[in-house]
Amino acid sequence: MSPFTAHLRARTDDELVALLRARPDLASPSPSTLSSLAVRATSRTSLERALASVDAAVLQVVEAVVALGAVTAADVPHAVGADGPDAVSFVAAHLAGATTRLLVFPDDDGVLRAAPGVAELFGAYPAGLAPDTFDARAAERAGLEPDPAARLADAPPGARSVVDALLWGPPVGLAPAKGTPAGAAVGWLVEHGVLVAVDARHVVLPRSAALALRGGRTHRAPSLPPTVAQSAPVRAAETLAAEAASAGDRIVRLVARLVRTWEQQPPAVLRAGGLGVRELKRTAAALEVDEATTAFVVELAGAAGLVADDGEEAPSFVPTVAADEWHARELPGRWAVLARAWRDTARTPWLVGSRDDRGGVIAALDPELQRPWAPRLRAAVLRVLADAPEGAAIGVDAVVEALRWRTPRAVPPRQAVEAILDEAVQVGVVGAGALTAPGRALVTPGSDAAVAFEAGLPAGVDEILLQGDLTGIVPGRPGTALEELIDRAARVESRGGALTVRFTPESVRRAFDQGSTADGLLAELATFARGRVPQPLEYLVRDAARRHGLVRVGGASSYVRADDPALLAGLAEDPRLAGLGLVLLAPTVLAAQAGVRELLDALRARGLAPVAEGPDGQVLHVAPEVRRVSRRSTLAARRRAESDALINQARDATSLERLRALVPHLRRAEEAAEAAVAPLPLATGVHWEVRPEGDGPQAAHPATVGAERTVGPTRDGGAGGATRDAPHGRTAGSAGALSARAAGAGIGGSAGAGAGAGAGAGAGAGARSAAGDLARPAVGHPAPAPPDARAAVPSLSATRTAQGADLARPPSPAPPSPAGTDDPASALVLLREAAAQKALVWVELVGSTGAPQRRLLRPVRVDGGRLRAVDPQREAELTVAVHRIASVAPADPT
Amino acid sequence: MPNGPLIVQSDKTLLLEVDHDQADACRRAIAPFAELERAPEHVHTYRLTPLGLWNARAAGHDAEQVVDVLLEYSRYPVPHALLVDVAETMSRYGRLQLVADPVHGLVLHALDAAVMAEVTRSKRTAGLLGAQLDTTDVVVHPSERGHLKQVLLKLGWPAEDLAGYVDGEAHPIDLEQNGWHLRPYQEQAVAGFWHGGSGVVVLPCGAGKTLVGAGAMARSKTTTLILVTNTVSARQWRDELVKRTTLTEDEIGEYSGARKEIKPVTIATYQVLTTKRKGVYTHLELLDARDWGLILYDEVHLLPAPIFRMTADLQARRRLGLTATLVREDGREDEVFSLIGPKRFDAPWKDIEAQGYIAPAECVEVRLTLPDSERMTYATAEPEEKYRYAATAAGKNRVVERLVAKHAGEQVLVIGQYLDQLHELRDHLGADLITGETTVRERQRLFDAFRSGEISTLIVSKVANFSIDLPEAAVAIQVSGSFGSRQEEAQRLGRIMRPKGDGRTAHFYTVVARDTVDQDFAAHRQRFLAEQGYAYTIVDAEDLDSVA
Repeated sequence: MSPFTAHLRARTDDELVALLRARPDLASPSPSTLSSLAVRATSRTSLERALASVDAAVLQVVEAVVALGAVTAADVPHAVGADGPDAVSFVAAHLAGATTRLLVFPDDDGVLRAAPGVAELFGAYPAGLAPDTFDARAAERAGLEPDPAARLADAPPGARSVVDALLWGPPVGLAPAKGTPAGAAVGWLVEHGVLVAVDARHVVLPRSAALALRGGRTHRAPSLPPTVAQSAPVRAAETLAAEAASAGDRIVRLVARLVRTWEQQPPAVLRAGGLGVRELKRTAAALEVDEATTAFVVELAGAAGLVADDGEEAPSFVPTVAADEWHARELPGRWAVLARAWRDTARTPWLVGSRDDRGGVIAALDPELQRPWAPRLRAAVLRVLADAPEGAAIGVDAVVEALRWRTPRAVPPRQAVEAILDEAVQVGVVGAGALTAPGRALVTPGSDAAVAFEAGLPAGVDEILLQGDLTGIVPGRPGTALEELIDRAARVESRGGALTVRFTPESVRRAFDQGSTADGLLAELATFARGRVPQPLEYLVRDAARRHGLVRVGGASSYVRADDPALLAGLAEDPRLAGLGLVLLAPTVLAAQAGVRELLDALRARGLAPVAEGPDGQVLHVAPEVRRVSRRSTLAARRRAESDALINQARDATSLERLRALVPHLRRAEEAAEAAVAPLPLATGVHWEVRPEGDGPQAAHPATVGAERTVGPTRDGGAGGATRDAPHGRTAGSAGALSARAAGAGIGGSAGAGAGAGAGAGAGAGARSAAGDLARPAVGHPAPAPPDARAAVPSLSATRTAQGADLARPPSPAPPSPAGTDDPASALVLLREAAAQKALVWVELVGSTGAPQRRLLRPVRVDGGRLRAVDPQREAELTVAVHRIASVAPADPT
Repeated sequence: MPNGPLIVQSDKTLLLEVDHDQADACRRAIAPFAELERAPEHVHTYRLTPLGLWNARAAGHDAEQVVDVLLEYSRYPVPHALLVDVAETMSRYGRLQLVADPVHGLVLHALDAAVMAEVTRSKRTAGLLGAQLDTTDVVVHPSERGHLKQVLLKLGWPAEDLAGYVDGEAHPIDLEQNGWHLRPYQEQAVAGFWHGGSGVVVLPCGAGKTLVGAGAMARSKTTTLILVTNTVSARQWRDELVKRTTLTEDEIGEYSGARKEIKPVTIATYQVLTTKRKGVYTHLELLDARDWGLILYDEVHLLPAPIFRMTADLQARRRLGLTATLVREDGREDEVFSLIGPKRFDAPWKDIEAQGYIAPAECVEVRLTLPDSERMTYATAEPEEKYRYAATAAGKNRVVERLVAKHAGEQVLVIGQYLDQLHELRDHLGADLITGETTVRERQRLFDAFRSGEISTLIVSKVANFSIDLPEAAVAIQVSGSFGSRQEEAQRLGRIMRPKGDGRTAHFYTVVARDTVDQDFAAHRQRFLAEQGYAYTIVDAEDLDSVA
């Protein structure tokens, strides 16, 4: 077993949970065993993710460990240049972070090593150090004096600056032309073994020399988080509260107005989904803001589930039931709903209006605007702001700088950060450049954003200054009753610390439409007014009241018209026609609630001879009525709801409870797998197949499909064998971490013919397969296997082809090492570790003819399903598909 | 300050509560950079505009002062974005300077090469700029000085004009303050103008703008060109100047349709300057006839578009604009500011009234209910005829009659738009009528008779909207107007605002047909005055007698 896997097994449950929490991709989908967890943890994709998520200090210690190869934890602070107890504990804390993430791990002797595969991600010169291959050549020339610094004491002028230029990397430089002073200096340095000439034009500072000159350090100084926030201006709490209140109030009002606008005139959904440019313009005009703000408001309402595609045949965006619930809340509650929706949404409203890859303009509410990283980036930006001192306005540069330190290998684009900060200002989470109190509550678990928002609202004012020019001013935030009155009877002209309104005939009429009376309205105004209601306003109200209701409108379905008033009066009074709802509007006109047809029938039944007429007075022949039902589609777009569900699933996947449950499961599976693997003879050839890892849910499925296909050759008449099986297994993606093709002379008849079998069931399963059953993996071993061979998912599946015991085996130069493994998971880890340590391993390969052979190799890298290795005996380099590797064993098992 | 008098709104309006203890101090502090937009009884509204902020910069205020004032007087925290915007806007002023270069003449100098690059690349400056001297200097054609300043203002990089003014031809002018003195606000206006070099002074009608002009001339002591709206106004200017200054009749020339005199002080009408023959302005040479040291624009809110263009060429001369109502229905206030100069003095009408320099006025809107037959005719009239029909409703004659009777013994002006209506009123009231057809001599005679009290009621058309000084008129009755013109309404009120000998209140009536477009236009017309604090009382024609 490899030291890496051994370390993983030795971890406590809590440590494993911490690992899975820090690197969620390892837990989703659930790995089957600790070994497969180890493989996944050393895969390039996962390592890249892990490195992308760590801060500069963690990255630095990992780089130091990579550069030094093996180092004790105590030496790391010195290596990264930490001096002073604070710096040392800072580095130690980040080293612990790197260990938790399994980027470095202590081996049995407590020496820290980089996880297999990590080194490859740091480029050719980790920490700016050359590979040690040049050290020997340098040593030849160095003579007796081992210390390069001492040698440099005699160096000609200019030599020191050449060394300084290469000292902290990159260590390779272009040699200056000979004959120049610089050329002479370089020549001297090469002569005295400080530099090594790589070729005619390049020189390199060897690793040993660089380390010596650096004083054994890999970095000049520990990478500390940026401290710009300290110098930032600090905003007063009142300023921030006012900014949050005004921005929050504004966004809530805009969303409310959007809902009101769309409930009257829902805009159509584009065929590709989303809101058309023209509709956006129209909405912007209704909201009286620019289009970018409108796009944000629309997206925010969408994210909060207040508007949605109605899924009709001609779909349009309409407010949802949630909008009514939202509207019923008080202002702080409404704000909190929007703020949380904003924080968690994967939408990227700032991209609205830009062009997509095909050159089309991206529409608001376009399904394409979903970006899974958006909520993470929002959280990261808000975290940076929250970590700054309270009230500090740190600005976009500082935020980007902080994010650059937090995730140096995945720096978010400045444009996205700017857009998110801008959104935060609009929501009221950020004001005057600093995180507001409600914003802080929003990112602090366990605190109620609505309460924080309410705390910042200024007290309501119940006074309005009414003026002769028909305007009114509320010198503060209006109280609920006053706000309601203003909503009803006035038009708002300007908002802010105060509210200015204007009374117009239309606004007053609106109040009457909602049931106010002139006297009632004036009395209400008088209760809030400072002083009496000005005469012009009073006149306006009375004049509007006088005109209100001059024109009456009612509903009627049909009418009866006749020149004889007596006849109509009789009809109106006739009790037999009471059901028709006849009302005498004028002596010669009756309005009816009943429809034309019913009316005609009733009048005919009464012995009259009515005819129907059209709007132009033409006599109509009324045809019998027929009915149809309209086609309704219920299938159309619920995309948003679905994608939200996916996000929720993903969020659940990393929940602590699930991870705590997962770890013991992994341990049991690991033990069971070992028990199952152990009896298999070591001589057995193993075919490996490594696919790019994937975390699709299908990977957790039992490997039924693969197993079925594996059975195929047997059923087809036993054709095949190792030769055919290998490609077959590759394409079919056959099942199970150890789904074995148990085969023997007695089964299938032809040499090496395989029969698929469930993984852990061992011989028993093989027997079942032979009997023609479909192989099913044992329940305890759900093996990740893609049901579809084309699935580009990183799962590991192996096909073991049991060769006939009597098959010729190549002569083994050495017996298989007891530390060797044919477990595909462990083998990969072994190969990666060997690559990292430049160690030799025994590798058993299955050639194209199916004949296995053992070779002593020095792996260079394991990547993309291939092993690149050097064969020192044959002095050749070879690349081999990993599924051709049957077993791996360290050449030096110590 | 937690209980300050000022509320700063995020839409850049400032609300000043006038009853507050510190309202006066605050008003003085914000006046240099904020434009007064509305001044009704309780809360005055000011607005921060780029132009206002740049004018403040030009007058030597910086962003820090502005921000400090806002923070000092604001009752609530000032929106941060607004403060940032103020600083940002003000920092744009003066990055470009117009300077007089001894070698190259007029030069546009930039303190910031990037701004210069932006400006020179703009299409709008094409043709205005000459050779580029280096990255920060470019020659300006002297004739385009005004035009360039206007363009730069639109580009958002207002130039600081350091090129100065030509002195002009000297001519001795002094005020003869015998028995009268300039009022304090007039002194302030003159000082404000002179300090700023060029600009606009806004004073209510009847507050003595002519004297501000005379004061400016006395400061300048140079030949002066005075541009006025019409001949009657020109003669009033002449009389006033003769009376108030050392100038004699011989030194003042009139350049109008009737006479073409050019003297050290020349008074010309807008009309004669804009007269075209064969597509050419025939009287343009007047502008160059002398080396004018000062150009005065009376009633600058009426400045016709061609004068704007001519003014653009006169940037090297001092310019003073005078107006009571700087509201233009065409929205070209900004051009007035950029070509004549920024507002140098502005006094709310009610302030001057409180100081007793203009008569208190009571405004009444009389609503006349049309009889049913007329309402039917109105309802079915062509849309373009509706206003005329409503405005000239026959019932208005009876209302005017009752109003005149009510104010018997006072000097009453009846003002209207439509000649038919005015002729009818003349027959109805038996009063004299002045319209555009009346000769200048006849007009003078009737105005004199009215001033002397010989006749007590005078009916006038829109010719008397402006610049006619009728000190004893105490009642004005407006029967119709040109649609929704706010400044016409204000100017008409201005006819009766000269303070009366006995301190009487002036009465302004506007007769409006109810439920017609006349009423809607009336509402719009009243906005300027309502914003100046003149609250209209609305009465029904039937209740007229109940009004005192």
